[in-house]
Amino acid sequence: MTTGSIEAGEAKEAKSEGGAASKAGAAAKEKGDGKGKADAGGPSIVTLRKISRSFQRGRETIQVLDGLDLEVPAGSFEALMGPSGSGKSTLLNIIAGLDRPTTGDAEVAGSNLSRMSDGELAKWRSQNIGFIFQSFNLIPVLTAAQNVELPLLLTHLSSDERKKRVATALRVVGLEDRMEHYPRQLSGGQEQRVAIARAIVNDPKIIVADEPTGDLDRKSADDVLTLMERLNKEFHKTIFMVTHDPAAAERASVQRRLDKGALQ
Amino acid sequence: MNLATYARRNMFRRRWRTILTIVVIALTVVIFSAIRTVVVAWSAGADEAAQDRLATRHKVSITMQLPKRYIDDVRAIPGIKAASWAVWFGGKDPKKRIPFFATFAADQHTWFDVIDEMKVPAAQLAEWKTTANGAILGDVLAKTLEVKVGDRLVITSDIYPGDWEFKVVGIYEATRKSVDRNTMVFRWDFFNNDPRASFSREQIGWMMSRVSDPRKGAELSRQIDKIFDERDDQTMTMSERAFQLSFLGAFSAILKAFDWISVGILLIMALILANSIAMNVRERTHEYGVLRAVGFSAGHVRGFILGESVLIAALGGVIGVALTVVLINGLLGPVIEESMAAFFPYFRTPPSVLLMALGLALALGVAAAVLPARRASRLKVTDALRRLD
Amino acid sequence: MIPVQYNIRSLMVRKVTTAATAGGIALVVFVFAAALMLGEGINRAFGSSGRQDVAVVLRNGSDSELSSGINNDLVNLLKGQPGVSPDRAGEGGVPAVPGVIGEVVVVVSAEIDDGSGGTTNVLIRGMPAGGMAFRPEAKIVSGRAPAPGSNEVVVGKSITGRFKGISPGQSFDLRRNRPLQVVGVFEANGSAYESEVWGDLDVIRTSLGRSAGVSSVRVRLASNGQFSAFKSAVEADKQLGMKATRESDYFRKQSEQTSGFLVGLGIGVAILFSLAAMIGAAITMNGAVANRSKEIGTLRALGFSRLSILISFVLEAIALALIGGVIGTALVMLLASVEVSVLNFQTFSQVVLSFRPTAAVVVTALVFSGVMGLVGGLFPAIRASRVSPVEAMRA
Repeated sequence: MTTGSIEAGEAKEAKSEGGAASKAGAAAKEKGDGKGKADAGGPSIVTLRKISRSFQRGRETIQVLDGLDLEVPAGSFEALMGPSGSGKSTLLNIIAGLDRPTTGDAEVAGSNLSRMSDGELAKWRSQNIGFIFQSFNLIPVLTAAQNVELPLLLTHLSSDERKKRVATALRVVGLEDRMEHYPRQLSGGQEQRVAIARAIVNDPKIIVADEPTGDLDRKSADDVLTLMERLNKEFHKTIFMVTHDPAAAERASVQRRLDKGALQ
Repeated sequence: MNLATYARRNMFRRRWRTILTIVVIALTVVIFSAIRTVVVAWSAGADEAAQDRLATRHKVSITMQLPKRYIDDVRAIPGIKAASWAVWFGGKDPKKRIPFFATFAADQHTWFDVIDEMKVPAAQLAEWKTTANGAILGDVLAKTLEVKVGDRLVITSDIYPGDWEFKVVGIYEATRKSVDRNTMVFRWDFFNNDPRASFSREQIGWMMSRVSDPRKGAELSRQIDKIFDERDDQTMTMSERAFQLSFLGAFSAILKAFDWISVGILLIMALILANSIAMNVRERTHEYGVLRAVGFSAGHVRGFILGESVLIAALGGVIGVALTVVLINGLLGPVIEESMAAFFPYFRTPPSVLLMALGLALALGVAAAVLPARRASRLKVTDALRRLD
Repeated sequence: MIPVQYNIRSLMVRKVTTAATAGGIALVVFVFAAALMLGEGINRAFGSSGRQDVAVVLRNGSDSELSSGINNDLVNLLKGQPGVSPDRAGEGGVPAVPGVIGEVVVVVSAEIDDGSGGTTNVLIRGMPAGGMAFRPEAKIVSGRAPAPGSNEVVVGKSITGRFKGISPGQSFDLRRNRPLQVVGVFEANGSAYESEVWGDLDVIRTSLGRSAGVSSVRVRLASNGQFSAFKSAVEADKQLGMKATRESDYFRKQSEQTSGFLVGLGIGVAILFSLAAMIGAAITMNGAVANRSKEIGTLRALGFSRLSILISFVLEAIALALIGGVIGTALVMLLASVEVSVLNFQTFSQVVLSFRPTAAVVVTALVFSGVMGLVGGLFPAIRASRVSPVEAMRA
């Protein structure tokens, strides 16, 4: 398990020191110059081949995805747009290992997801994927810090180590002063930033975001998107975001459109 | 924080639901323990019966009597250490301070040697042997009838007419908790000489014998019955335990009903607990989806649900057991032992019942969580995330 | 008012929760209704069976025929007492009916015929000639009546087939080599008599070695109203040392302890159970209120008053409890064919009781379940009525 790059990034930011260890290698270099809006030339971190996904509703079979191919280079920030029912969320779920294609191969972060059991997928998710949901999905009975700490409970880290990481993640999202607040004591924007801290605390390779700004006002949405950009550029996270919001899509380096189960 | 923190917080998320569920479990544990205590207390006398004692009664009917000379035949059998006899008197308190108590006339020379768990001080026993109308009472009965040694006591009988006057010469003490402390014993010769009992003259109700070797009990029982087999009045001899059970056996329908009732209360407990857990799980389905997305496995979700259910059941069970100890063993038991001593000389919840109640609560805690846990862990993460209710 | 269909639909949507809660209530109602039905069964066996115009005479101090004893010569003295109906001679096929009968009553051990090897007591009544005619409610339903003065007996309908040897065609011993032959089965209007064995007075008395007397005397009165005259005459005569009770009262008193114990026990258990079931209903209704706070807010915003919200939720709780009540009452009807053999404390013998369903039992059971719903649902309903429309809509 690769850990520590968030701290490393933090350190770089704080002390303005260069050359911190980074696992995102080539992509990092390319983005280092600030242009960043590249068809990042790094190796693919997501490779989907001939993906189909159909659902059974009663007797009817609904074909949501049909023979879809997709490559996402490591370190890119991609936005996926498309009308409701186009299969955006299904595609996102397949990348995140929450759903499995009916046919086709999904290789994400070096693992072939199609061949993994539910248990293996859960473990894989905890190490490789950070989630950002539209409705934040914080656990209401836990404080901000405890919410962020939740995924770390699946690791063998010591309590002190976990605390350190939680503090770092919350500092990255700018909420170090809200650690002991409960979700209901936070604004929508703050809740989503806590959710982002939860998504990065495990130092995943990929962050998937499903309409991360859907429940937010413009100002909070901008803050969240800026934060995501920073995660992409400074911490070299690959981000795959489903959104309806053109302004949000604008911030990504690659925009894709999905319509009727196929990428345009 | 650790996973237990999350589980604990979850437990009191619907505070009243959890508290009420715990209250129900505690309540049902108390009810269950009380019912089992009745069953246990009911047969306590029989369970504690002496192993080395045989009881002989009339074969046809408990109300029919045997000739007194039968005792000599029994005493003559090798292996019988001692034997004594008694006649049921059906005594009643004319002032009705107690609805029912056991009264019988017994042989003053041998009775307390054979029934040695009723302890009478030697001086009082000697006094009894010289006082024709002397009576010996249990300490609880003496208190109820407001008499002490030396007092005059008048009782009536359900069977024999008129007022019967006795002199209280002794108080026996119970050396075993199953001994009825509400019994009155007086002299058989006094009874036998009274004209009002003329139709029972030289008749006895039952015989109690001590055997030298308890393992030979069954054999000796057969031997006794065989002696009288050719006579007009045949006997039925059994161990004291069987003798007592033959009285209790008549209540078997009620005891059976008690068994069903204890199953019923457990069912209600299970239904309510399962409902609470199912409601919790239903409301948190979305959250379980989030946990799964973050990387928790289906096993974790099952564990959370099962753990919460068992914890609630355990809390309710422990509170219920504590309440049982306080309510039954502390408050109710002593009252019942005094007022209903004929039926329940010893009314306390034994540890075995408390353990069983706690164990069943825990088992039901597991059972109640099985279905909701299975459903929640089998639900697809994507479906769970979509559920918002 | 919020339409009740809204509540019914809410219950149907939450199937598992509704079923679990109603199931608990059904169990309570089952126990409750079973106790009531047993009470009705006991009433029928004891309460309705004795006759108003028959007096039971026992020895002073005895509460039951079993412990009572009366000398033979005293029986005849009773014939001359005021209010006693004279013997009626039989004519044209109508049997003779005596005015006074002395009977011997004893319990004997009987082995229960269920393979358990357990024994219990059965009540045997030895009656003089005319004993059956004395009780017009008694009828032979199979086999025949015992021949007078013989060793033949008839067995009550309730206990036929329950004990070894006490069934038609079989025989049992009261004393060595004096078997009693069972030749028929009688019924007696569901009364406690149906748990007895009836035979000839002299045969049974001889078997028991009790030729000196009888247990009790029954006296046919010229009319109902003659009872007090008879009673005071008998009880005034200290020589007799007897007391008289109306047969109907005697039976009721015989069952009082047993009936009070059994019915009290059943209802006590049901009430304890109902505490748990009511809390169960409260938990469910509380959950319903919490899950529907948005809905409640909307209703309030639409203009429904606090009171109508309160009533709506109380009605929902009552509907929920009634589902359980109906299920419990339906299930308890299965007991209607079940008979239980219990010990009558007074006679120390077995009586067979049945569970009797009556309209009153059904209504009481349903009302009981409704009350459980009302009590369990009240606090959640109050909570619902306090939901603020503004807050609920925002949540």
